[in-house]
Amino acid sequence: MSAKGKSGLDKNNKYDRQLRLWGDHGQTSLEQARVCLINATATGTEILKNLILPGVGSFTIVDGNKIKGEDVGNNFFLSQENIGESRAKTAMELLNELNDDVNGCYEDENPETLLENNPEFFKKFTIVVATGLSERVLLQLADVLWQQSIPLLVCRSYGFIGYMRLVVKEHTVIESHPDNAHEDLRLDRPFPALVKYCDSLNMDTMNKKDHSHTPWLVIIYKYLQQWKNEHNGSPPQNYKEKNQLKQMIREGIRKNEDGITEDEENFDEAIKSVNMALVPTRIPSEVEKLFNDPCAINLSPESKPFWILLRSVKEFVENEGNGALPLRGSIPDMTADSGRYIQLQNAYIEQANKDVAVITDKVNMLINSLAKGVSISDQEIKLFCKNSAFVRILRCTSLAEEYNSQTINTQDIGSHLEDEDGDSEMIFYVLLRGVDRFYEEYNRYPGGDNDQVEPDVQLLKGIISKLIHEWGLTSNVKEDYIHEICRYGASELHTIASIMGGCAAQEVIKVITGQFVPIDNTFIYNAVKQTSFAVKL
Amino acid sequence: MAASLGVLGEPTSKNVLSCKLLVVGAGGIGCELLKNLVLTGFHDIVVIDLDTIDVSNLNRQFLFRKEHVGKSKAQVAKESALNFNPNAKITAYHDSIMSPDYGVDFFKKFTMVMNALDNRAARNHVNRMCLAADIPLIESGTAGYLGQVTVIKKGLTECYECQPKPPQKSFPGCTIRNTPSEPIHCVVWAKHLFNQLFGEEDPDQDVSPDTEDPELTAEAGQTALEQKEQSNVAGGIERKSTRTWAMETGYDAKKIFNKLFRDDIKYLLSMETLWKKRRPPNPLDFDNLPHTECSEPSTVMRDQRVWSMKECAQVFSDCLAGLKKEFSNQGENGMLVWDKDDELAMDFVASTSNIRSHIFGINQKTKFDIKSMAGNIIPAIATTNAIIAAVIVMEGLKVLNGRIEECKQIYLNRQPNPRKKLLVPCALDKPSPKCYVCSSKPEVTVVLNTEKMTIKTLEDKILKSALGMVAPDVEIDDGKGTILISSEEGEMEENNDKFLSEFHVGNGSILKCDDFLQSYELKIIIAHKDKLEEDKEFDVVGDLSELHAKPLVEQPTNQNGSTTSHQEEEDDLMIVDEVEVIKSGTKRKADQEPDEINAKRPKSSGDHNDDIVIL
Repeated sequence: MSAKGKSGLDKNNKYDRQLRLWGDHGQTSLEQARVCLINATATGTEILKNLILPGVGSFTIVDGNKIKGEDVGNNFFLSQENIGESRAKTAMELLNELNDDVNGCYEDENPETLLENNPEFFKKFTIVVATGLSERVLLQLADVLWQQSIPLLVCRSYGFIGYMRLVVKEHTVIESHPDNAHEDLRLDRPFPALVKYCDSLNMDTMNKKDHSHTPWLVIIYKYLQQWKNEHNGSPPQNYKEKNQLKQMIREGIRKNEDGITEDEENFDEAIKSVNMALVPTRIPSEVEKLFNDPCAINLSPESKPFWILLRSVKEFVENEGNGALPLRGSIPDMTADSGRYIQLQNAYIEQANKDVAVITDKVNMLINSLAKGVSISDQEIKLFCKNSAFVRILRCTSLAEEYNSQTINTQDIGSHLEDEDGDSEMIFYVLLRGVDRFYEEYNRYPGGDNDQVEPDVQLLKGIISKLIHEWGLTSNVKEDYIHEICRYGASELHTIASIMGGCAAQEVIKVITGQFVPIDNTFIYNAVKQTSFAVKL
Repeated sequence: MAASLGVLGEPTSKNVLSCKLLVVGAGGIGCELLKNLVLTGFHDIVVIDLDTIDVSNLNRQFLFRKEHVGKSKAQVAKESALNFNPNAKITAYHDSIMSPDYGVDFFKKFTMVMNALDNRAARNHVNRMCLAADIPLIESGTAGYLGQVTVIKKGLTECYECQPKPPQKSFPGCTIRNTPSEPIHCVVWAKHLFNQLFGEEDPDQDVSPDTEDPELTAEAGQTALEQKEQSNVAGGIERKSTRTWAMETGYDAKKIFNKLFRDDIKYLLSMETLWKKRRPPNPLDFDNLPHTECSEPSTVMRDQRVWSMKECAQVFSDCLAGLKKEFSNQGENGMLVWDKDDELAMDFVASTSNIRSHIFGINQKTKFDIKSMAGNIIPAIATTNAIIAAVIVMEGLKVLNGRIEECKQIYLNRQPNPRKKLLVPCALDKPSPKCYVCSSKPEVTVVLNTEKMTIKTLEDKILKSALGMVAPDVEIDDGKGTILISSEEGEMEENNDKFLSEFHVGNGSILKCDDFLQSYELKIIIAHKDKLEEDKEFDVVGDLSELHAKPLVEQPTNQNGSTTSHQEEEDDLMIVDEVEVIKSGTKRKADQEPDEINAKRPKSSGDHNDDIVIL
């Protein structure tokens, strides 16, 4: 991330509030990303707005349409005086005003034509966002992108319904930012430097001040050793035994001359932390699963750095790590004098660095053996080691699979359709698939013309029954819903576009920064009931 | 005009066209909200915001550009929105919604009020105004990836103040001045120092050693006092204000450094009782600074690494010179206002708090982290605001159609919860019969020491700050109607420094408080207690039965999780903070199962959110 942008503003200041969420490296990825939007619909421009404001590198709008009156009614980035002009050009210009540090481009061309004449066009993008495409063109686009391994996000606002689908072959996440991450303290299998440091402190001979400022980690370590000595080397196993350990610690609090216990905050913290500190060190099942992924086992010169890193960590676990991941190397805040806190912290940092060094050797060996030209930076290796318990992978199904009645996930569709009085958001997925089929057959969306709502309801009902039948399901969609979706007449409400613009941009940022786990793979929002739903299709 | 009106249906489109809306706040949520309202077809909108545009707003407040920095948010938001849609009628006020100009009659003119606010004081106030005017209110807030929308209607739903909010954490003065033990204590001290030198001088923000520390026995304090007179090291200058003294030195970096970080510390060391159980501080000398290492190689960005002591002293000297210049540019009675986004002011606080941390053996922090603590920064992004602003409009449409019973309280999660929901709707709760704001006869119990509580403190800290009043009148319910406080300026000011006990206010006394602007009457029952826990000055409890109940939630112990008593208001503040959401999970019902409550707003340790303080 460069300090000053074209705008002349200090980016640290301008982006301060978001740097606190995804960090400088996240911001750098964002600033290097190239996003393509297909069709400057209201939903499309809202997504772009939310990417341009935080400073995406560049955006390109592909849209062959001319601006119509209805576009101006729901799209903030098109105005009355531009009616008749290129939608791609006008939207690009108005959106580009949002941030001087972002480059805007446009292609005043029909996406279908572009796909036919120049499919290579899409190769340069980090991600493509598609709105306002018919099923037929969408599937063509999805095919091209799937072959080129470019992520695709499909998003639409249809009446009061929002829909989003992420199509990415393989997306690896190092920083998944889990909600409830355990500390990595290794009290159950202390490393030599920790043992040495804890053993160097003698709680019994300390003066009062040092005693009440000994980090709780050391306190638990000491009493845990004592416990183990008294219990054939095994740690407290259950609630009762943990309480006994807590009691031992409680009894360790100093007493004054009158026999009254002193106020020792560090001991209170130790007692509170016993349960957390005794969680055994283990490898999360998700990571275990990744270790056995064919991509980790069969490395090739084409392997992504993620897999080389993962394989190196796997080898570490099987050898030097004795079954444990590399040490994270951080400890929580605690009551302590800073001298000893820092010594303790350094013990963890040094061990973590040692683990990183071992893994770095493995990475380099692997790279050499694969005769790979690229190297993996020390920073990347460090980040990977620190997050090794949280690495994740996302593999979406392709749109082609989803749109094939033989390969679509009919099991989940069926169970949701029959779920809870038949009011699952899954119904809206089926309805949207229905209106797309309707469009393919009649070249218009149902209910678009107010006089035709009733006949369209019957037509759509037939189409949806057929669709469900093709999936080998027997469920029914209530006629009320079919009525409602016909009433929408494919209109795009700005408010729904705004919500979907927020949700979709957030997913795009996740994909670009490689932080947080994106949605897998379909998201549906129902504004009438304010409900939402994510499902893997 | 807006294509959406057709789909919304006949009654809705009519209601939208005739609706008069008040939007309070033109920041992160406000900008998005104005856009959504205009494009949904709302014609008649009043927007009010007292804030001006800052560079750090531009990453999400899309109606503003860099050329607007420094201008009125409300005014620019209006103009930008009209550029995009000239047909709407938007009126902008660059003003505080808490001003007496906007009384109950002003609120009554609107069909509905939408809050897009960033601080609790204004939220409390608008809540009361809407209750008084009986106008539906849509309340909202965001923090990072999290967001929330709720609907408030008098008599029908919970009001904003029905659920007690955790008090804004503050630190005892003696911790700040004498015995800091966490980085935040030093950060607060550094901000106080800034104000003492360049800002509004507040006696509550003294930065010199406190000889009235309750930990000091009379004797020990006396010894220190005597030493002070003898040595005259720190003593002689104590008599003057820090500012006067600093000005007389010509803001000499070395002299000020040695006073704050050497002499004052030596003086603190002389209060021996303080250090019996604590690690004593180490005074620093400007000319003999320790060689401390930088945490990271110098290639790491300046804001992201911990500075060495020499670097800190250099930054301190540079800032002092720079701030002195800015200060003198302000003219005779001018002063500087501390702002986290002002480089000099921020560097000053980062350097001085780290020097103080070093002295007291507390971990030093990076400027980036100190900014979070000092500025009480809440991360804010475009996407969350876009979602929340649109949810506000959806709820607003239900209210307009008279379908308020279908409204929900809606939470936005960071990622889909275990039940695969990103947005989680919850049923709105009924008003709390015990609420000290919206119940028919509001009353509240306040625990305090009537012999130590002055009328002025009662007014400022209890009635205005804790209980959210703007201009209270107070009389004692003693049969005589003795008036304690008057909202008329100049009246009853002679009472200011008197103690409550002087008016025979004691345990069980009742004070009748009336805020005319808010149309709000509150009965305060006084519970006298000689000494409160943690040296608090007072404690507001819903009713006496709660007095002995255990606190519902534990305070976060994370050092970074602390906030200061002098909160900076930040954009797009949540209605509730993380702690509070977890708590309110226990009362959630209807739309969700208990198993997802914990998953809703889990506290994470790995995330930057932890550095962030939410009111």
